Amino acid sequence: MKNLIRGALPAMILAAIASGTPPSDAAEPAAKDPINPPPTLRDWQALAKLPDFGGVWTPVISDQVAQERTNPPPWNAQVAKQIQHMYSEEKAGRPFPVIDHCFPTGMPSYMLITHNAFELLVTPGRVTLLGEGDGNRLRRIYTDGRPHPDDPDPSFHGHSIGHWEGQALVVDTIALLPEVYLAVNEAVGVPNNGDMHIVERIHLLDAETLADDLEITANKLLSKTWKTTRKYLRQRSQKYDIVEGVCEQGSYNEGVDKDGNSIFVPIKFHNGVPVGSDSK
Amino acid sequence: MNLIRMKSMLGAIMLAVAIASFCPPANAHHSFAVYDRSKVLTLKGNVKSFQWTNPHCVIWVLVQPDGGGEPQEWSFETTSPGVLTRDGWNRNSVKPGDRVAVEFYALRDGSHGGGLSAVTLVDTGQKLTASFGEKAELK
Repeated sequence: MKNLIRGALPAMILAAIASGTPPSDAAEPAAKDPINPPPTLRDWQALAKLPDFGGVWTPVISDQVAQERTNPPPWNAQVAKQIQHMYSEEKAGRPFPVIDHCFPTGMPSYMLITHNAFELLVTPGRVTLLGEGDGNRLRRIYTDGRPHPDDPDPSFHGHSIGHWEGQALVVDTIALLPEVYLAVNEAVGVPNNGDMHIVERIHLLDAETLADDLEITANKLLSKTWKTTRKYLRQRSQKYDIVEGVCEQGSYNEGVDKDGNSIFVPIKFHNGVPVGSDSK
Repeated sequence: MNLIRMKSMLGAIMLAVAIASFCPPANAHHSFAVYDRSKVLTLKGNVKSFQWTNPHCVIWVLVQPDGGGEPQEWSFETTSPGVLTRDGWNRNSVKPGDRVAVEFYALRDGSHGGGLSAVTLVDTGQKLTASFGEKAELK
């Protein structure tokens, strides 16, 4: 029975039962002009049978570091030289600006290197990740059975579809902007340069620990598919409730203009960090 | 000043503006590898402002140079409002005018700035510590 509850099938069956129409009738108009059907009571009830992924999660940073050391990506020879240079620069105190631009970190770095919390929401037909840093990064994973679009617009987080396999959410992500980094830390990473494909298996290790098993195929960078895992701890305390994070705001301080209006005033940066206004 | 010279100057100014506008944008989010974390330094001064913003908060402090002269502005950067809140801070933990002793990791390039390790409010003795995010997983 578990094998039946996969991908498109449960949503179609539930939608058909709810509407009283056979699946074939429902599928025909959907093919022409797909709609998002209103979730039914049964759709919501079905969520209660899934593993509890909801809430705020923080990355296990010590494990990130351990994974970086013990299970590096299988970089191809050309990229390996760039990576080696970045590690040297980082060690010398000149970190390469992987995340300095205030763009979203993007996938898969979102899951691999973030130091910030994210909130995970499971709703009918959708799993949503709301990150705290970098402009409240957002991942939408469609679990309503839809396929990837034929020619999706590339984006920072790509197009993600997911389905449940037993207690695990399996997510397939394509259509990532070629400029989006595959990074192993905040100072070491390279643009994926196109055609990156990510498969994730997200599951609970215990009641309060989430694991994301990633399989990253990036033929422009890697000699083979890279398999790695990242862990996150659930935070029940309300002090972990996600707060607004507008990255660009960090480039400004509060000020008042000549008319007495409250305004954002640019702060001084040097080598990518804020410095005193009278610094050289 | 003749017209040609004025046009030439105007052109130079426009070029300068154009070059400035093509400079990389201010960078709010970055690695903390820019800081020398091998040692903690201490400076005393008066808080100018406390910038409570993502991705990083900054305490701006006016420091009197040892040799005299005008106070110099220093930046002491730390994590984010979310992480600091979980460390027990709020946006009013440090206020303009507060006398502070700042413990920090210096910028390697010698600029007036550092990564915040802790700040002590001189008048009350209260010490606020800050992490670079590592503590989040321990709570």
